[in-house]
Amino acid sequence: MLAVRNVSKVFGAEADRYVALDGIDLSVSEGELVCLLGPSGCGKSTLLNILAGFEQASGGTVQFDGAPVRGAGKDRVMFFQDAGAALLPWYSAEENVRFALRVRKLPKEQWPAIIDKYLAMVGLAEHRRKFPAQLSGGMRQRLQIARALAVEPKALLMDEPFGALDALTRRRMHGFLLDIWQRTGKTIVFVTHDIAEAVTLADRICLMSVGPGSRITEVIDVDLPRPRDLGDPAAGRLFKRVEGLLM
Amino acid sequence: MRAAAFFVGSIVIAFAGWQFLSTFVFNPFLIPPPLVVLETMIPMVKSGEIFRHVAISLARVGVGFVSGCAAGIVLGVLLGRIRLVNDLLDPIIELLRYLSPTAMIPIAVIWFGIGETSKYFLIFWGTFFIVLINTTAGVMRAPIIRQRAAECLGASELQIFLLVVIPSAAPYIVTGMRIAMASSFMSIIPAEILAADSGIGYLLQHSSILLQTNRIFVALLTICVIGFIFDRLFRMAVDRMLSRYMSYIALT
Repeated sequence: MLAVRNVSKVFGAEADRYVALDGIDLSVSEGELVCLLGPSGCGKSTLLNILAGFEQASGGTVQFDGAPVRGAGKDRVMFFQDAGAALLPWYSAEENVRFALRVRKLPKEQWPAIIDKYLAMVGLAEHRRKFPAQLSGGMRQRLQIARALAVEPKALLMDEPFGALDALTRRRMHGFLLDIWQRTGKTIVFVTHDIAEAVTLADRICLMSVGPGSRITEVIDVDLPRPRDLGDPAAGRLFKRVEGLLM
Repeated sequence: MRAAAFFVGSIVIAFAGWQFLSTFVFNPFLIPPPLVVLETMIPMVKSGEIFRHVAISLARVGVGFVSGCAAGIVLGVLLGRIRLVNDLLDPIIELLRYLSPTAMIPIAVIWFGIGETSKYFLIFWGTFFIVLINTTAGVMRAPIIRQRAAECLGASELQIFLLVVIPSAAPYIVTGMRIAMASSFMSIIPAEILAADSGIGYLLQHSSILLQTNRIFVALLTICVIGFIFDRLFRMAVDRMLSRYMSYIALT
């Protein structure tokens, strides 16, 4: 579904030249949940921006669904950590979802049913008239998920989506995201610097090295059953192993 | 309620103090006491003289302000959105903005005479730069994340611009308009003092020549009240029509 071949990204020129990514290879199949894991500054957000089409790779190819990625498209919806900035704060919860349907150019008769469906799916049905500022951090992220799902993308690209939430809410969001993922079968590329988060969520963890010239240094298949518990010995061993590779 | 009580109380105390000082301490010819000012005001109100001047000044402010806002918003959006336009025009704007409307009065009189056009021009001049600079800042600060989020939902360039960038900039634009309105009310006065035969500024100037200090004070009080009323009206209108675009600032 997603094929990244030898992608590099260079910022600036001459003295300011900075090679952020160098020789990235990554394949993600349909319905897979892949975590890009690495320390801050390793270029994982840059890579995600390239996958989304917000930025152009300096070299290499990115193919999505068999076609080269040229610009952003609603088949790959990006999901941001700062929901307050990503949502439209002057629209209520349901109006934010409606905005997505409007730009998707769906006939108006279909809107109410779709809005109801996705707000119910993320558990915001009774908060539909609230504005983002009136919602908690976790609720804003759920609204962002509802809005993304409403355009029926094939893949969700998530850039440290739960990084700004408190630990408890983050754990709840993990369960919530896995539930949504299992119900909708979306492909998910999830960027994080939190090992526990990657171990909890991923089918596959791709470790990235620190820049300049970041690359994917290790790919770890995670075949632990879900829901996963980090207290579980197998999960604990995986956590230690990933930690050892990153340190 | 408490705020309103203090507002009224503060004004009552100020007027009482003024009455006392100009009766017993200062020369009442130079600073006429409020009761004398009121006495002077009543016939001016009854004859409609004061309203005539107010209406003329308001019309000048209205035309200049509305046209200045329109031009400032349009050009401000272009400057904020199109890099080339910004690179070309920003240096000139950075220089011209230091020419206050007052500084432009002499040349405006030569260009447009002492009729209405020169007043429209001066108010336009003052409004335009304030609104322009605020609009540009607002458009430039429309969060890139918000634009990208809309983009990957499938929004077109035009939709991102109209439905994301402009509403994101709205608080800046409105703030610029509010500052510009206050400055319009200030700059209409020197314009009318130096080059007009009607309006509140003219009333000030004419009363000064005739040494009618109590009429000067009527004009000064009128300016205070008009400016205050219009600022409140502006805020009420914004609250009614644009509150959903204004209230979210607390979020980011």
